[in-house]
Amino acid sequence: MISVQKLSYVYSPKTPFMSQALFNVDLEIEEGDFFGIIGNTGAGKSTLVSHFNALTRVQKKSGTVIVDGIDLSSKRINVKSVRERVGMVFQYPEHQLFDDTVEKDVMFGPKNLGLSVDEQKKRAREAIELVGLNYAEVAERSPFELSGGQKRRVALAGVIAMKPKILVLDEPTAGLDPVGKRAVMDLIVKIKTMCPTVVMISHNMDEVASYCNKIAVMRRGAVVGVYTPRELFGSQEVISSCGVRLPLVTEIASKLTDSGLDIDPSITDEDELVEALLALKEGRRRA
Amino acid sequence: MRDMTFGQYYPAKSIVHRADPRFKLVILLLYIVMTMFCASFVSFGLLTLFVIITVIISRVPPLKVLKSLRLVLVIVLITTVLMMLFYTEEGEAPLAEWGVFHIYLGGIYASVKLAWRLMLLVTMPTLLTLTSTPTELCDGLESLMSPLKKLRFPVHELALIMSIALRLIPTLVEETDKITSAQKARGAEFESRNPFKKIKAMIPVLIPLFVSSFRRADELADAMDSRCYRGAKGRTRMKSLKFHFGDVIALLLWCAIFVAILFLKYNWFNWAFIAAVGL
Repeated sequence: MISVQKLSYVYSPKTPFMSQALFNVDLEIEEGDFFGIIGNTGAGKSTLVSHFNALTRVQKKSGTVIVDGIDLSSKRINVKSVRERVGMVFQYPEHQLFDDTVEKDVMFGPKNLGLSVDEQKKRAREAIELVGLNYAEVAERSPFELSGGQKRRVALAGVIAMKPKILVLDEPTAGLDPVGKRAVMDLIVKIKTMCPTVVMISHNMDEVASYCNKIAVMRRGAVVGVYTPRELFGSQEVISSCGVRLPLVTEIASKLTDSGLDIDPSITDEDELVEALLALKEGRRRA
Repeated sequence: MRDMTFGQYYPAKSIVHRADPRFKLVILLLYIVMTMFCASFVSFGLLTLFVIITVIISRVPPLKVLKSLRLVLVIVLITTVLMMLFYTEEGEAPLAEWGVFHIYLGGIYASVKLAWRLMLLVTMPTLLTLTSTPTELCDGLESLMSPLKKLRFPVHELALIMSIALRLIPTLVEETDKITSAQKARGAEFESRNPFKKIKAMIPVLIPLFVSSFRRADELADAMDSRCYRGAKGRTRMKSLKFHFGDVIALLLWCAIFVAILFLKYNWFNWAFIAAVGL
């Protein structure tokens, strides 16, 4: 779906402010992946991801990016068709809302795709309902009167209404309380049934561990490695070499193992941990 | 958007960078007045020489300074050509003539001087902004205007407004960048050639920008309030401006150039060698 080869990127080249953000990045994202990207601030996550919908163009002789069969490193590309395929949700997407009603704001994307008004409305309605808002209630309201969580849902709807094949999210849960975080993540899982490939940048190890099937770790503009959650959080070597923190579930599991319980210390899923603990209890009762 | 050259500060280590911004501002003012008094090619040459010396010791790439000329190139060309074609010298024969247009030798001199003056007027202010940060300039202005406090002129408030505005320009640029990207990701087009379409395309960027500016203003006001900001009274600064011996020397040097240029123009003592320079 997305194939990145030897991608490098330099900000403000040939000036005193020059800084290289990406160094020879190689990455393969397949259809159906819930792909997580983690790394410290300044690791180049956002720069990498902004290549996927041609917001950042591949610089000359700095590698290739192929998205859904379109070579983004070639000079002439149909930017619009790329942006139709790749929906991008930025950090704090609620800051991009601008129109006087929620419906019109969500229709902005479909309108830019040149769809008919009926189709625009239909898609807006679908998207608003998909993100869990009541269409009849919010459609005619100003997006600025909504609550923070609702605003974020409307902003998400604005991207989904374009029916992208790939959804890229930059820290979708930043600045939300734990309940809001979970709600947004569940929403993304729901969206994933319609838009099968999801790429997510996150600082939250719990989210990455329990939702992603592959995780790329970035450091100083390079991809250190791509792992499954178990590979990443299960091996002490990988964790210390990548410099990442453990998700809460894995931390609890490994603490329990340390205190003598017979539990797999690389568990990354809450339900799995509960299961393992119950099994242990059952085993003890029997013994 | 990132290339927007408002704060075009060029970081380098040089005497010009280190100099007191107040002195730089005064020298700039003096310099602008000076260009108005330049009358002969000799005085233009003298001034240009010192501009070049200043550029060299400032360690800013000369190309950066020359680039600023590109902005006024059209104006310079138009005014020079018009000046050359319409300049009339009484009692002299024109070098060439086509209908209403005519070229006199004096006209050529005058238009070259005009172009030269315009270019001099652009280069030095550019050098000032290249070698001093907006904050330095702001502090310098506040300090220079402080005598106006006696007239109850709100100098501190003005400087505060100016420095907040300057401080927030990069933030706004960044914000504009982000919102533009977000709208582009939703298929918005900003590259239209039709000016009306272009203005309309800006709405999805401008409205979120205004919303966030108001939000930020509120937050800033709260933050200042909670740190007991209460205006200029009794307020000290972290970086107080200090001038050095070198700053005074530089100012005196530029004063000397000014005097030289005045002499070249008026020749008060009727010195023969100045008269001989002519033009």
